[in-house]
Amino acid sequence: MSFWEVFLPALLRGFIETLKILAIAAPISVAWGVVLGSARVYGNRFVSLLAAGIVGLFRGFPLIVTLLIIFFGLAELGIYLTPFWAAVLGFILCSGAYQSEYVRGAIRSVDVGQSLAARALGMSKTQELLYVILPQALRRALPGISNEIIYMIKYSSLAYIVGVVEMFSVSKHFNSLYFRPIEIFFTVAIIYLAMTTSATISFKLLESKLRIPGLEVEV
Amino acid sequence: MVLRAEDIHKSYGETAVLKGISFEVGRGETKVICGPSGAGKSTLLRCLNLLTRPDRGCVWLEDVELTSPSVNINEMRQKIGFVFQEFNLFNHLTALDNVMIGLTRVKKMPKNEAKRIAEEKLLTVHITEDLWNKYPAQLSGGQKQRVAIARALAMDPVIILYDEPTSALDPHLIGEVLEVMKELARKKITGLVVTHEIGFALSVADEIMFMYDGRILERGPPKEVVFNPKYEETARFFKRISELYGVRR
Repeated sequence: MSFWEVFLPALLRGFIETLKILAIAAPISVAWGVVLGSARVYGNRFVSLLAAGIVGLFRGFPLIVTLLIIFFGLAELGIYLTPFWAAVLGFILCSGAYQSEYVRGAIRSVDVGQSLAARALGMSKTQELLYVILPQALRRALPGISNEIIYMIKYSSLAYIVGVVEMFSVSKHFNSLYFRPIEIFFTVAIIYLAMTTSATISFKLLESKLRIPGLEVEV
Repeated sequence: MVLRAEDIHKSYGETAVLKGISFEVGRGETKVICGPSGAGKSTLLRCLNLLTRPDRGCVWLEDVELTSPSVNINEMRQKIGFVFQEFNLFNHLTALDNVMIGLTRVKKMPKNEAKRIAEEKLLTVHITEDLWNKYPAQLSGGQKQRVAIARALAMDPVIILYDEPTSALDPHLIGEVLEVMKELARKKITGLVVTHEIGFALSVADEIMFMYDGRILERGPPKEVVFNPKYEETARFFKRISELYGVRR
């Protein structure tokens, strides 16, 4: 069997593993980011401080260290996660922290008059957040959110550190067997590029779909 | 009595903005508050639905004391319409949805019933069907303010507070908004209006309250306060206003 006949099927399995990680971690990290970002602006002092602490922690740790702590550190405390779920959890915690900052900034950017009008109608703080502020803030946060997801597509390769057999780990393994770095890593790089490009295009489409007529300046 | 304010005080740091304001608005009445900027008019209005909490004093809505700590203010605010100078329509919602959202989300009304009421209120303020699905950014200032009035009306409030509703409008759009407000006043929708539009006050207000330096300096029937004021400050203010704005009737 030629190199490619062995490499490509293995790479495909790795690719599917990468997709599985992203399919779970990306949406949950966005949701977690929305919760954290909202908590920082709308939470009471305790909740807001707690959220700020969580963000500070997971934005401050290098992701690779977070992953090792989750996988090996938790195991020492008797909490055993499979490599796959350790990676997913690490990505959610790290990415959610970054996402929350985009969300927080976007919430802050919504005109205070929108809050006043919501309250004057009798909305509770939660209703105000859900029905008035977030629908506007998330539209504004979308470029940042897509930016962070593109990062995640690429740093999902760090899952190899806890032993997930994803795309990067497969290629690293094959390179040590066959030592054909140009073919192997270039193929992998192209696949990552294809993934980030499709993410970019999808978010562009989503942005234009969610556009509020008349609100943006037409160029 | 629909609304009663008793000895309202409010300070920001060292600056006392409201220095003991008391008044009342009866059912079906329209009262106008005017006065120079910095007199505390907007602060007073916001103290009435507790968007700003007064430091001292009570606000009563019908027979409930809003300023009492045990009151669920969100519930009470449903009964107090509020129209802002800057409209503050929800940017992400169409005109129709702006009017419906209070009904569906706050009053938990079924969608079709909310839609029926919203459409009726939009027609009341002369927003025709072709504008119902427009977003705020696609509407003129006058249209936006009328949608905002419809949004307040839809909640079936016992009183509507207007905070300089025409001050952010181009002069040629002021008329359409004042016309709607006059129609509501004539329908005996209780209203408290902060405005410099003396013509509006003269044609529909039951009383003018002239605010000066955190107090109500003078109050009475519009014609008396405007044309025959007791105080020098009042006279100076109305003279200046009529020079600047003219009197629109």
